[in-house]
Amino acid sequence: MESSQFLQKITTWDANAARHILSRTLFGFTKSDVDFALSKSLDDFVDNYLLTNQPQPATPTTIDTNSEWVTLPYDPTDPNNNTNFARYFTSLIYWWLNLMMNQGYSIRERLVLFLHNHFVSEANTVRIPQFMYQQNKLFRDYSLGNFLDLTKKITIDPAMLLYLNGAQNTKNTPNENYARELMELFTLGIGNYTEDDIHNSAKALTGWRINNSTLTSYFDKNFFADVSKTFLGQTGNFGYEDIVNIIFSHVDTSSNPIAAQFVCRKLYKEFVYYQPDANGEVYISQLADVFKTNNYESKPVLSTLLKSQFFHSPDIRGAKIKSPLHFLLTALKQFQLNINNDIFGYVRSASALLSQDILNPPDVRGWQGQRNWISTTTYPQRNTITDSIINGRKIGTTTLKVDVVAYARTYSSSEKAVDFVNDVTAQLIQFPLSQTRKDELLQTMLDGAAVYDWSTYDPQAASRLSKFFKALMRLPEYQLS
Amino acid sequence: MNRRGFIKNFGMITGAGIATFSVAGIPVKAFAKPFMNIQNTNGNILVIVQFKGGNDGINTVIPVDQYSLYQSNRPTIAVPENQIVLLNNATGLNPSLQSLKPVYDEGKITVLQNIGYPNQNRSHFRSTDIWLSASDANTVVYDGWIGRYLVKAYPDYPNTPPEHPMAIQLGSVESNLFESQYGGLGIAFQDPNTFYQLVNGSSADNDPPPSTLAGDELKFLKQVAALSIKYSTVIKSISDKGTHTADYPSNNNLAAQLKIVSNLIYGGLQTPVYLVTLDGFDTHADQVNRQTKLLVQFADAVSAFQKDLDAHGVSDKVVLMTFSEFGRRVKENGSKGTDHGAALPVFVMGTKVKGGVFGPNASLTDLDTNGDIKFKFDFRQVYATMLRNHFGMSDSQVSDVLFNNFSSLDILNQSTTGVGDNSLIPADYVLNQNYPNPFNPSTKISYALPLSDNVQLKIYDMLGRKVATLVNSYQSAGSYTVDFDGSNFSSGTYFYALETGRERIVKKMMLVK
Repeated sequence: MESSQFLQKITTWDANAARHILSRTLFGFTKSDVDFALSKSLDDFVDNYLLTNQPQPATPTTIDTNSEWVTLPYDPTDPNNNTNFARYFTSLIYWWLNLMMNQGYSIRERLVLFLHNHFVSEANTVRIPQFMYQQNKLFRDYSLGNFLDLTKKITIDPAMLLYLNGAQNTKNTPNENYARELMELFTLGIGNYTEDDIHNSAKALTGWRINNSTLTSYFDKNFFADVSKTFLGQTGNFGYEDIVNIIFSHVDTSSNPIAAQFVCRKLYKEFVYYQPDANGEVYISQLADVFKTNNYESKPVLSTLLKSQFFHSPDIRGAKIKSPLHFLLTALKQFQLNINNDIFGYVRSASALLSQDILNPPDVRGWQGQRNWISTTTYPQRNTITDSIINGRKIGTTTLKVDVVAYARTYSSSEKAVDFVNDVTAQLIQFPLSQTRKDELLQTMLDGAAVYDWSTYDPQAASRLSKFFKALMRLPEYQLS
Repeated sequence: MNRRGFIKNFGMITGAGIATFSVAGIPVKAFAKPFMNIQNTNGNILVIVQFKGGNDGINTVIPVDQYSLYQSNRPTIAVPENQIVLLNNATGLNPSLQSLKPVYDEGKITVLQNIGYPNQNRSHFRSTDIWLSASDANTVVYDGWIGRYLVKAYPDYPNTPPEHPMAIQLGSVESNLFESQYGGLGIAFQDPNTFYQLVNGSSADNDPPPSTLAGDELKFLKQVAALSIKYSTVIKSISDKGTHTADYPSNNNLAAQLKIVSNLIYGGLQTPVYLVTLDGFDTHADQVNRQTKLLVQFADAVSAFQKDLDAHGVSDKVVLMTFSEFGRRVKENGSKGTDHGAALPVFVMGTKVKGGVFGPNASLTDLDTNGDIKFKFDFRQVYATMLRNHFGMSDSQVSDVLFNNFSSLDILNQSTTGVGDNSLIPADYVLNQNYPNPFNPSTKISYALPLSDNVQLKIYDMLGRKVATLVNSYQSAGSYTVDFDGSNFSSGTYFYALETGRERIVKKMMLVK
């Protein structure tokens, strides 16, 4: 492919293209979702469904008493804080998982998770659930909005002010924590600023404090370093908005905007492939131009990306290792299993076991994803999880179990063994499966029977299908998306 | 080569034929009886403790001889003078390290002071990568120094994987420390029994992946699966043999990790390297509380570990060392914490360490431009010591692993000397007399650096005017020789000067035409 074609729109809008887009933008999808996408044009589906904001969800309430908590003032002296905070975090996580499962055709919740992993705060450090909720809402509000504006908002976001010590940053002895990560991890990347830029921007970011009653941040000029600062070559009595504006206007020696490149590289890693090669870098620069030209609006750059020939090339399809949340929610959604709070509790703990503890990324850089999801421990753990939803797992009062026969019969090919294996693997596995693999799966399913004897009405069908689905989800190919 | 580059090559090798077939693509039973399995290890074991987040060095090992300056830099977080656990009259430990003192008194702990590297990077992630890969600050290397060591120690890998894992990490996210040209060489698990149960029932396969980026990822997944299948059984059976005699503290995550490690060591697992982790050292605020908890955990865990190894008579083959991505700023910030800094102390523990405090205290007056502690020893000298004097590697092997022939530090008693000596790395800067001298028209100038440094080698005339610059670059520790061609110069006396960030040496030479 020539680099001039990278951003060009694909010309074939078929089931493979639709599955690729759905697998990279949702947390699982069904056969009817593919049919729906194909009933629209590519432009229509991407711009008017995937990239269209959904109505704001109702606020979360506690699981046990269904009571409001997100606006409750924080009282540091309340002896019940620990107990209540645990309940509130559970409420927040179940609520978010529910949004992920029921996001319709919108990319929104994948973006919220992306932003949570970009502008990282760890709930264990922030401690106060109200602030983590606010931050989660901020990400949702700006998920399809303006990235520069979001960067300003997150800089004075209470959870962030707590997490990276902005709320303790004071004029005479500044705390550099946020200033460094703002540039290193959120906007510019290492090597594009000096230690002096950190000292000076730390000063410019002083003065912000948190009001625990109103749950808001506010500016107190008594703490602000009201002096001239020199930052990225500019001098003035800067405050936080100036710092963000200067960062986004900072260009490299070829006049390319550095922040646009940096953020597009993160988008690339999230939605395309974890490690850009030379072509990937060219593609990222092209995306950065779109991002910059549209004043850091997220929609145009995502629209271009999702329709582009580069994104749909054979190298990229099936090249992303599913995150634990993606892996778990996909397993539930593809079989259309009924979900409830028991199941959300299970997803939360299983995801943590697979090294994605929701709301608690490992450090300020966030989950590195891709190969870091897979270790000699987490891969076998994934296998035991998929086995268990086929075998049946009792969680609280709920039994999580796939009705494999009923699921098989949702395929029109269910009574033709070879076609059925082809259709199921195409639906459930994004990676182009080799013929050897399909043959192995077919033999697993037939379990010694002849291919012409295959029937889902055979008394052995349930056990054969169980073996088949377990083997399918144990495949390394199934881990890819 | 980075991981992806490797996987690409790996794919091609696999396609080439059975002779080089390897882990990712081979049925597990084919591993069972290695035909030939060379293992260049000497039975010694290194346990690495990673302090994640950047441990504050001068609140860990306190420069008692500069106490008033220390305290004035840290009005709210300085350790009160009367609580310091003195190691000698100049240096002391944070009181939360109290349980290390008896081990130190037995001569089993050496405190290495001021460890770091030139051009300190203050990013957690970049600096961690530098420590894990043993690269220079300005070079990006994707594999780990232990990964490169293991490739040398197990030359038959990946064709014939060893019977026991090459490296073990307690945890579930694999570290880049074990990354190599053949992919990750370590096994990660949280506990041997669960690991065994998890893997039980899995099978490997040999369906070749396509040569796309997506195919690279598939190859990677297969390799991880093959490693876990290969090693889960041996880890469990050896772990089952272990019996603890020492009391490990409870509610101590590091102790739980080290307890598993010791079990595997005296159960007879031949794995030469273990990695354990203690997280939470990024103390920008409320440092005293946070660091105290961590240091107590550390001290209690490793002192129990040492007792355990002593009791089982295996302690002379084990050395434990700590590291962290950086130390922290000398001056505290306004939030009772400290920001990212530079050099820091490293603890080395074991029966064969010489014990004591190695190197002078951190100087609180001679700081770098950022207000941070300057390094005195390169962290790769610590690694070189482990490779050469603990694992018995030759100088040339050490050089291959660390990209340069770093000298050892004299901290280990029983020296498992490798082949060759350390003559390539001098103790101090050296500028030799040129040869020949007098010369016409060219001569050789040789010099040597004890540490990586910015180096200039310049020629001056009798009037002190610079007439040539022969070298102007950042160079690694080692010996160098440059030619000087005087064809375009007139006869007479010239000076040549070696100028580095730390040293300037001048010598005279004669050009006679």
